[in-house]
Parts: sequence; C-alpha cells; structure tokens
Amino acid sequence: MGEEEVNEEESVFHKKLKIKLKEKGKEGRILFLEDYLDYLIRDNKTIPPDFPTFVREIMGLDERRGFIHIRIWHENSELVNFAKKKDYEYKIDMYD
Amino acid sequence: MINGGFLVGEALVGEEPEIAHIDLIIGNKKDAAGIAFATSFAQPRQGHTPILAVIRPNLPAKPSTLLVPKVSIRNLEDAEKMFGPAQSAVAKAVADAVEEGIIPKAQAEELVVIVSAFIHPRGKDYQRIYRYNYAATKLALTRAMQKFPGIDKILEEKDKSIHAMIGFRMNNLKKPPYLEVALDIPDWRRVEGVIRALPRTDAIIIEAGTPLIKRYGVEVVQKIHQLRPETVVVADLKTLDTGNLEARMAGDATADVVGFSGLAPLKTMEKFIEECKKVGALSLMDTLNVQDPLEVLKKLPVKPDIIELHRAIDVEQIQNLESEWGNIKEIKQMCDNNVLVSVAGGIRVDKVEKALNAGADILVVGRAITAAKDVNGAARAFLQRMGVEEVDQFRIMTDF
Repeated sequence: MGEEEVNEEESVFHKKLKIKLKEKGKEGRILFLEDYLDYLIRDNKTIPPDFPTFVREIMGLDERRGFIHIRIWHENSELVNFAKKKDYEYKIDMYD
Repeated sequence: MINGGFLVGEALVGEEPEIAHIDLIIGNKKDAAGIAFATSFAQPRQGHTPILAVIRPNLPAKPSTLLVPKVSIRNLEDAEKMFGPAQSAVAKAVADAVEEGIIPKAQAEELVVIVSAFIHPRGKDYQRIYRYNYAATKLALTRAMQKFPGIDKILEEKDKSIHAMIGFRMNNLKKPPYLEVALDIPDWRRVEGVIRALPRTDAIIIEAGTPLIKRYGVEVVQKIHQLRPETVVVADLKTLDTGNLEARMAGDATADVVGFSGLAPLKTMEKFIEECKKVGALSLMDTLNVQDPLEVLKKLPVKPDIIELHRAIDVEQIQNLESEWGNIKEIKQMCDNNVLVSVAGGIRVDKVEKALNAGADILVVGRAITAAKDVNGAARAFLQRMGVEEVDQFRIMTDF
C-alpha cells in the first residue's frame, strides 16, 4: 500500500496529545492524575494496564508553556476522551 | 386447540420508557396452568398482587386472565398504570384474540391465561402504555398458539442476535474464516491505537499476545474487551503447567479463547481444556515447536476447540521459511471435524488464499497489520482477500 493511500485517521503513528494542566508544577500533575482516575472510576472503566508507568511518565514530563506532551497512538485514545470530558484544553499533533 | 399442558408466549413492543414486555402462559384449567392460576390468585405477594384482567369493571376477559406485575408496585401511581391502562389492554387483547380465532372460541371457558407484564416506573403516557401492552399481549398469544419460535428458528438466530441490554452479539466462531490480529507489542497505548484503528467486524478476532500479557498481566484482556466488547479476545498464555489455574485466570479476565502449549504435560493440557469448558471459553492448543501435533492430539481424550499451527517469530526471522499447512485435514479428521485450525507465522496478504485452500479457519496476522502505517487499510486488505462478510449484513428483519 502506497504512502499516499494511508488513512490518516486510522493510522497508528506516534501522536502528541498536548494537555494544559489546570495547575502548574507537581500539584497540577497530581490533580491531573486524580482527574484521570475520577474519570475512569465514574465511567466504570478498567484502569489502563500501563497505569503505573503512566503515573511515572506524567510526573516526569517537561512542562512547556503549561502543557504536557503525552504520546498517544490514535485520535480517539481514551486520554483524548478524558481530556474532552474533563474540560482540559488540548490539541493533537503528529510527532516530528 | 390446547389439549393438555400449556403454551408459552413472549413479546416486546414499543419504545422506552413505556415499552411493554409481556410473558404469558395459556393452558387448560385442569392442568398445570390452572393450578398455577389458582395458586397465584390465592397467594398475593407484596408489590406483585395478581389481578383478573377486566375489559371494564364487571366484565372480565375470557379465557380468564390473571395479570401479574413484573416490577414491584411501590405506590398509587404505579398501581394506577398497571391496574388501569395495562390490565384493560391485556383483557381487550385476550378478548380480541378469541374473536380473531387466535384462541379457539370453543375453549374460552376451559383455558386460563397468566400474563406477566412489565411497566417501567418512569412510564407516564397512558396511551402508549395501553397500546403497547395490547399489541404485546396479542402478539405473545399468537406466538404461544403457533409455538413460536420453533427450535430451528432459535438455532438459526442464536448466533446472529444482538442482545437489547448488552448491546452486542456473542461470537462463538461458527462462521469461519476469521482474521486474528495478534497484539504482541508490549506497549498499551500503541495497542489501544491499533485496536481503535481496526475495522469493526465479526470476522476479526483480537489476540492478546504472550509479550503483552507478560507485560501487563492477563487483565489486559478485560481492557481490550472494554474497547471492543463484541470482539472475541484470545489470551495467548502458552501454558505449560498449572493448566486449570491459568485457564481460570484468563476466563475470569473475560477471555473468549485461552491458549496452552502443545508441549505441556498431558495432564496439564487435560486440566486446561476441562477448565476452559467450566469458564465458558474455547481452548486453543499452540503447536509451536511441537514435532507432531497429531501425536499429541491422539493422546488427548477431549480435544481442544482450536489448533494453532504456529511458526515462531524467531525462526521466521532467521530462516525466512514459509509456513507449512500440510496436515490440516488430518487434524480435523482426528477431531471429528469439530475443531477450528488457525495458522500463524509470516502470514501476508498474498498467502491468504494458500492458507484457506489448505483448510485454515483462522489466519493469525501480527506485524503485517499492527506495524502497518494504515492499520485499518492493512486489516481490510486481508478481509477482502478472505472474502468475508458480516453475519447479518444483508439480513432484513421481516418475521419478528
């Protein structure tokens, strides 16, 4: 299948989910993780299997103008749904 | 004519919240239906008081009809709905059924009807309650008298039906060929991306590969089912010991198919297959590195549901060999043709035809799909070559 035929919506590339934290610093990250757990529990969703890794990743990410950049692989990732539902400012970019 | 015993009918009519769900039995006063009628009539329970269905006060329906509320009557509002529009609708439907010949008029005195009716506590509209319950009762009576559905209809429909409450159809792999997408990538977010990109079709099975399960535990199966509730998920455990324990763990994590290694001790395989039956999952024997799968199968008193002819990823990379599927027919014969055979290892689109011609029911594909730039397109290319269609893509609901 040629490069030009790739369905961008359904392609599985690294994508950046840029989420603006509601508070800066460590407290903002903890609030973010609490919000994420709240979303999962209230929606009766199973905790993602990579949650322990995810916590370490979030706590260790650089903050760029208030945004953290999380790697996702699909535009409908659960993290995107979470960002929408919990009113986080976000955008999705392709990885360079 | 009903000469003995009773007949059973069921119907669901209308839209929520006034939706009517009627279950009923109709039978002779002298038989079980008559005893149930009298017993229920004489023993009212709190919130479920049975009442005679009347067309209007002082005019009960014939055959005598007992209306039993399914949902507890909690207050006067609930009681008014059940004993007002619902019961008069049921009574009118029974009387009309006699007039229309659905129930033989000659038997109007000797038969009884017990109707179990559902009214949602949030149902408000009396017009809808009346009409839905009238239609559902008449339909249920018609079905009872016609002994609908026949067993052949049930056997035909059971694998096609989407349950109203769970919202998806259980797939028990009765309509091969299937495309099994093997998720061997030990990175959940990438796996999630692949799953979301896959086409939604009954022809796709998702395999939680051994590396994925080793990384996250067998609970990953449950998370996959959360993303794709309707899809069959295989837990590729490659169990070598503690057969029943591992099969139970996967079953508890909602796996539909659980895989063990054909290299395991015989006792382990037997326990594994037995446990799979207990938890309602299909058992899969992985023949990776098994010299003679037929010899192993011969020794098993109960055969697995699926045999996977498997070439290792490591071998595939070193030797660049094509898979051999020469003994599929023999394997099927040994299992009385009551087994699915899957083939794994280096399957690409141009190998699909060869594998299917060799008798394969399930094609296991990993990186050819999961590592593709366009996962959806790659999966569709396989499905197209396999010539599969949806279970009821071209079905029109006409009879019920």
